[in-house]
Amino acid sequence: MTAIEAVAAYLPEQRISVEDAAVRLGLTAMQTRLFRRFLGLAEIRLDPGGSLLDLLSAAVCRLDALRGREHQVRYVLYARAMPVVEPYPVNTLRELCLKVGLGHAVSFTVTHQACATGLLAIDVAGRLLAGDGEPDALALVLAGEKAFTRDAQYVPGTSMFGEGATACLVSLDGPRDRVLSYASSTRGEFDGRLDALPEMASRFEKEYPLSLAEAISAALAQAQVSLEDISLILPHNVNALSWQRLCRRIGFPPERVLLANVQVTGHAFCADPFINYTTAAELGLLRPGRRYLLAAAGLGATFSAMVVEH
Amino acid sequence: MDHETLTPLPGAELRPRVFDSISRLLPRVIGRELPTISEDMKLMSELGMRSASMLELLLEIEDDLDIQIEVEDIDGTAMSSVGDLADFIASHAITDG
Repeated sequence: MTAIEAVAAYLPEQRISVEDAAVRLGLTAMQTRLFRRFLGLAEIRLDPGGSLLDLLSAAVCRLDALRGREHQVRYVLYARAMPVVEPYPVNTLRELCLKVGLGHAVSFTVTHQACATGLLAIDVAGRLLAGDGEPDALALVLAGEKAFTRDAQYVPGTSMFGEGATACLVSLDGPRDRVLSYASSTRGEFDGRLDALPEMASRFEKEYPLSLAEAISAALAQAQVSLEDISLILPHNVNALSWQRLCRRIGFPPERVLLANVQVTGHAFCADPFINYTTAAELGLLRPGRRYLLAAAGLGATFSAMVVEH
Repeated sequence: MDHETLTPLPGAELRPRVFDSISRLLPRVIGRELPTISEDMKLMSELGMRSASMLELLLEIEDDLDIQIEVEDIDGTAMSSVGDLADFIASHAITDG
């Protein structure tokens, strides 16, 4: 059974308040206020002078479990919300592999599920390792992006993106964290610019909680556990309000969704559930044998959930 | 406002003021004049509002009536009309105790 052996996260030091970010984005006073007042965002992290290579390298450098085992890494997967982030022939992922002693690994990007791609990459890594069947082989799953355009900085009335990166070491099997299930559904009818298509945006708003709840239910069923068995949800950090509403819909205590980082990181693309994992670990919230759920939604639209046993 | 000292407002007393406030502020939030505003006017299907504009309207109403609105229970499907919104606000408003 696929295991997430270790997770490391990096957040840039520079903190930008949502009010300052809103000035740069040209938002009105009311558009700005609703972020802090209702959506639960207060600040985002940015590294304006840093490159994508700097961002991803910082996460890999914090992954102590990788040290001395680089030769075991067979695959490096970069989970990315944005399909294109650099001009050909720039290849930051390859540069990174060479820099951290993983030049021998097969490296590629996983994308097209927007911010839900991180969970997909964990699943793909597990499948690749299972296909090879080599017990000592490892995969490295990276997430984290530069908030480099307006579209990569802001979802109107919903979220602000910040920078942060994670590195997960995945193995074919292991004592923890064991991936019990992964469920995902893509609703292609929502592929398009929500700000330009109000009718589609309205339908998406209605369908979002239903579809995410369905993905969570599917992951629970696949893992043969119930919602009561889930001790903690590690969410994507789109905003706090949407999670509070979803909790009410599915009957899950909102205090068991780790939302603390929404205030201090904003939405860090595919990296959120893994950033939240490291916070949960630091807070002592992950206990051996307990099950928790990683969940994410991506514009376009994909809804994903993963049940893991610590 | 200090959240520790906030207390619920009597909903029935507040309800007419909320409807009046919605009637005055709604045109500004949606960016167009409305000849009349009725209780059964549909916020999303008729006026094209989305959750973001709904939250902006709540902020405007908070300022207008000097209240805070608890939004954790907010449910777009249960607030389809102007009247539903007024009911929600009147029953979820808190102010300085």
